[in-house]
Amino acid sequence: MSDTIISLRGVSVSFDGETVLDNLNLDIEDGTFVTLLGPSGCGKTTTLRIIGGFVRQDEGDVFFAGENINNVPPHKRKLNTVFQRYALFPHLNVYENIAFGMRIQKKPESEIKAKVTELLGLVSLEGFEKRSVNTLSGGQQQRVAIARALANDPKVLLLDEPLGALDLKLRKEMQVELKRIQHSLGITFLYVTHDQEEALSMSDVIVVMNHGIVQQIGSPLDIYNEPVNGFVADFIGESNIVDGIMYADCDVEFCGARMVCVDTGFAPMEEVDVVVRPEDVIVVPAEEGFFTGTVLSSTFKGVHYEMIVDVPGQDEDWMIQSTVTQEVGATIGMKVDPENIHIMKKYTGDYASDIDYTENVVE
Amino acid sequence: MNKKSSVLAAPFALWILIFTVVPLALVVYFAFWGDNGFTLDFIKSIGEGEYAKSLGTSIWLGAIATVICLLLGYPVAYIISRAKGISQRTMVMLIMLPQWMNFLLRTYALMSLLENNGLINTWLRDIGLDPINIINTRAAVVLGMVYDFLPFMVLPIYSVMTKIDHRVTEAAQDLGANGFVVFRRVILPLSVPGIISGITMVFVPAVSSFIISRLLGGGKEMLIGDVIEMLFIQVEGGRNVGAALSLVLMVLMLICMTLMNHFDDSEDSGGMIA
Repeated sequence: MSDTIISLRGVSVSFDGETVLDNLNLDIEDGTFVTLLGPSGCGKTTTLRIIGGFVRQDEGDVFFAGENINNVPPHKRKLNTVFQRYALFPHLNVYENIAFGMRIQKKPESEIKAKVTELLGLVSLEGFEKRSVNTLSGGQQQRVAIARALANDPKVLLLDEPLGALDLKLRKEMQVELKRIQHSLGITFLYVTHDQEEALSMSDVIVVMNHGIVQQIGSPLDIYNEPVNGFVADFIGESNIVDGIMYADCDVEFCGARMVCVDTGFAPMEEVDVVVRPEDVIVVPAEEGFFTGTVLSSTFKGVHYEMIVDVPGQDEDWMIQSTVTQEVGATIGMKVDPENIHIMKKYTGDYASDIDYTENVVE
Repeated sequence: MNKKSSVLAAPFALWILIFTVVPLALVVYFAFWGDNGFTLDFIKSIGEGEYAKSLGTSIWLGAIATVICLLLGYPVAYIISRAKGISQRTMVMLIMLPQWMNFLLRTYALMSLLENNGLINTWLRDIGLDPINIINTRAAVVLGMVYDFLPFMVLPIYSVMTKIDHRVTEAAQDLGANGFVVFRRVILPLSVPGIISGITMVFVPAVSSFIISRLLGGGKEMLIGDVIEMLFIQVEGGRNVGAALSLVLMVLMLICMTLMNHFDDSEDSGGMIA
């Protein structure tokens, strides 16, 4: 990885007295695929719009290739945006949509033609030049929007939930496609999504945000395996999050059992959050388990069964994923390997209210 | 159409039949049938001097009024479409307000303002300036048309402009367009449908208007609407020529509108045909 291409320093913004971004610091390496991930209202789209120049921050600075661009208007910034729901020009055909930026720069027609042809090839829309954008499917419109944004050879492409309006299968295809395009061009992609799976499968770096604050920055593997707090753990995939007490380094109690773990650096007897992924729970006969529970339900999910288990003395039921199902009503024992027990500082927010997958369409 | 909806549509269909279809048929009948049966004489008589001249004047003044309405109305529509909430509603209200008053009343009001001893000239004298002589001129007629029909230009353009997705203008900015280029390459072409319907809604009534020229133009020059009215009401046996004139006017307007709409269509789907 080479230089920092975009840098945010102490960026804060509030709308109508409500803080949207709070002292945000972020560095984006040139040539990487970076995803801003978080629930609705976490400030990820606002961050993108500040970088694009459509929202002015109340405080802080934005740097592009080392240069402060606070006062540079959007049309003079050397980056382009793929907008939510495409925002294609309805009065122009596919060719003219893609050529728009080059026409403003008064490039010669031969150069424009070559570039449009090249970009249509890149997004697999050869032969679509004369089509009206209003007759295209969602996926095709998305490809035109990407080609249009790439026509000015931006150093950074900003993508604002670009796949949000597509159906699942198309979304999966476009994820692969986007990753391929980013690879072949070697430019920086800054991608905004609320879909954790999308973020995990495409990104080099994920920035998890909540309430206008960066929660964690790391590779998809880091974020998944070593979430820094309960919010990240819960947002990235399913998690069982329970109260625990650290007796000493590598010695934790939760669900009424003392267990060996691998985490260190907590105060003696500190109250902590313990995170265990559903797939990391090992089901054993009741007498062999660290703790026991009663199976409330078992649902076949294709690759595995998902079981909800009531553990005595716990407010929340546990979720377990296993390729072997257990009888509903049965008492089972549960074990967790030390390296799969993730200890975190107490997170004070309410997980459930932070995550709202239903209202993510408009931010 | 199913049975229920045709029952519901019956009163309106009857209304249209009595007050639109039958009168139209009568106009066509009177234009071609005189006392001696079918004849083209009435249509031919329109080519003669006075009628053709006042038709030409009407179209000319109507066109000037339409252009002025467009030049005045377009920026207003743009400003209103960009305003937010209460100020937007207030501005739309102010545009609509004069329309709630009777058309004739408004024209009389304008007359009393413009008269040689009217309000404007009184004020001008009071502050020591020369009075202007505008009443009973073509300028006053055009002014009256603009005053009466301006809202019909502003409202359709405004309504089309509010539908332009702000992300589309942002996308243009993002691709390097400054304010002027965004306007010329995005907002202007996307507001063409509003311009077309604005022009239609101003030009047609302006050309066929008939009271304005009499009140503000002093009746010196008759517009086509005045001529038709006179032929039907004041001239004995004038209804045949009047009907012929109405028919010609209608056909001319239809041709104009068809041309305009064709222009609109080709703008809209420019990419699809080429």
